[in-house]
Amino acid sequence: MSIRIKRRLAHFPIFLLLLIIALIVLLPVVWMMISSFKPAKEIISYPPTFFAKTFSLENYQRLAKRLKVFVYIKNSCIYATLTTIPSVFICSLAGYAFARFQFKGRNVLFLMVLATMMIPFQVIMIPLFLVVKTMGMYDSYAGLVLPKLAVAISIFMMRSAFVALPKELEEAGRIDGVGEFGLYWKIMMPQVMPTMITMLILGVNAAWNDLMWPLLVTSSTKMRTLANGLALFIGSDTSEYGPAFAGALYSILPMLVLYIIGQKYFVEGTVTSGLKG
Amino acid sequence: MEMSIGKKAWKHRLTPYLFIAPVMLLLLAFNIGPLLGCFGISLFDITTTMNNTTFLGLGNFKEVFTDWRFWNSLKVTVKWTLVEVPAQLIIAIALAGLLTKNTKSNKIFRAIYFMPIICSATATGIMWKLILHSNVGYVTYLCRLMGLGKINFMNDSSITIYVIVFMSVWKTFGISTTILIGAMQNVPTSLYEAADIDNCGKFGQFFHITIPGIKPTLWFLIMTRVIGSFQVFDIVYTTTGGGPNYTTETLVSYIYTRGFEINRMGYASALSIVLLAIVMVITIIMYTAMLRRETD
Repeated sequence: MSIRIKRRLAHFPIFLLLLIIALIVLLPVVWMMISSFKPAKEIISYPPTFFAKTFSLENYQRLAKRLKVFVYIKNSCIYATLTTIPSVFICSLAGYAFARFQFKGRNVLFLMVLATMMIPFQVIMIPLFLVVKTMGMYDSYAGLVLPKLAVAISIFMMRSAFVALPKELEEAGRIDGVGEFGLYWKIMMPQVMPTMITMLILGVNAAWNDLMWPLLVTSSTKMRTLANGLALFIGSDTSEYGPAFAGALYSILPMLVLYIIGQKYFVEGTVTSGLKG
Repeated sequence: MEMSIGKKAWKHRLTPYLFIAPVMLLLLAFNIGPLLGCFGISLFDITTTMNNTTFLGLGNFKEVFTDWRFWNSLKVTVKWTLVEVPAQLIIAIALAGLLTKNTKSNKIFRAIYFMPIICSATATGIMWKLILHSNVGYVTYLCRLMGLGKINFMNDSSITIYVIVFMSVWKTFGISTTILIGAMQNVPTSLYEAADIDNCGKFGQFFHITIPGIKPTLWFLIMTRVIGSFQVFDIVYTTTGGGPNYTTETLVSYIYTRGFEINRMGYASALSIVLLAIVMVITIIMYTAMLRRETD
């Protein structure tokens, strides 16, 4: 036997182990996706089936009847858009200032930003809820979105990206006579686009799947997001697995597409925020 | 002329503050303000509608320390941390070690393991609840095929907590693995070459070079996972809601029920401050331990 084949054989058990773990990750999701197209009876039949014996849209019709699922999806889209694009923009503004300007109080203020990173959201959720309620923003898009805009880790990562840019770039811009905002907008910001896209993609995923804040701050069915509307639905009636699976498919599919397109950004964002944070 | 120069200098000085103003105001209103407010609210008996507030002083805190459900939720949270964090890290270290090289198959495995990051706690909860269903679940079916009896995964006071821990590990082990792979790839190759000369095996290399090489990342990961464990809520809410018999009720789940189901904002705030204190103490202890290790 050649050495190469011997090596291959030695690696086989490892490959098998990795494959089994991959199946434990993938099969439940695939099974749920397939099951959402099974008739309700088949979902709770015993023994369980993997592939659908009969294809049906029954669960999707029942879900649409029971919940305003398309309103939920619309709200999730709004929540995911409004908490990310403006957030990345203002966090990059701040990151830029902390990276490229000398000003009084810079270190203290930056330290303050870092300190807010240590406050778990769960600790401030009760007073935050009361603040939002007092401001009259309960059960509104403003109440959902505004508290989620300033993200410390985002400011931190934007600052690191801007710090790394060469001084010459800035000077060239100044000689051309663009204003301070023009310098940021036209010259510096395009240089950190990869970081901004990373923050955007991670932010969209986090907002789309966010359960707690929408759960606290919305009460009417027309304000619910998909993640919390579905959670309340399965909480109230555990026997409705079919429609719940259909809802879960709506919740997973858009992010799966995003993951397949932007996997690089998911990984990079996780690794850099993991290493530097 | 003088005026305009003065104006310009003033404007120049103001610029950075304008850049940070939006973020700073938002942090003040929605992070720092509420944090300070939390201390105030914890001294009152207060409901979500905020009428009928009475000042209690430290009454809420006194109640916290004699509240068996608080102690129970703390116990559940500690148990969660002691099981979830080591399980997750051991799996992640092993997998990162196996997947460090950038081969094609490794890249595919990494992409698959990382995928659950896109599954919401809601979707994860629904999915596993039916897979582990005590009558019609797939795992129940497999258990019967293997001759194991019926296991009531989702409703058994002694095992349900571990079942939810499993779901949490399922959802996040890929993230830890990815972070560790990043760290392992940064260990200088010259160290491995030296080890090759010293003739220590693959395992020796892993424990003597790789692990010490990724220590800072490992510490960081342990710290964030422990702190994260003290904030567990989503997966509990979407699977058991704290049951059976409060055996899966974590600290944050308990805060949620006090605040938003029983409508006692003041008491829930007092619980939040206890949570903050616990998280702070853990952070400080682990951080100093990390610094001490690094200087050794």
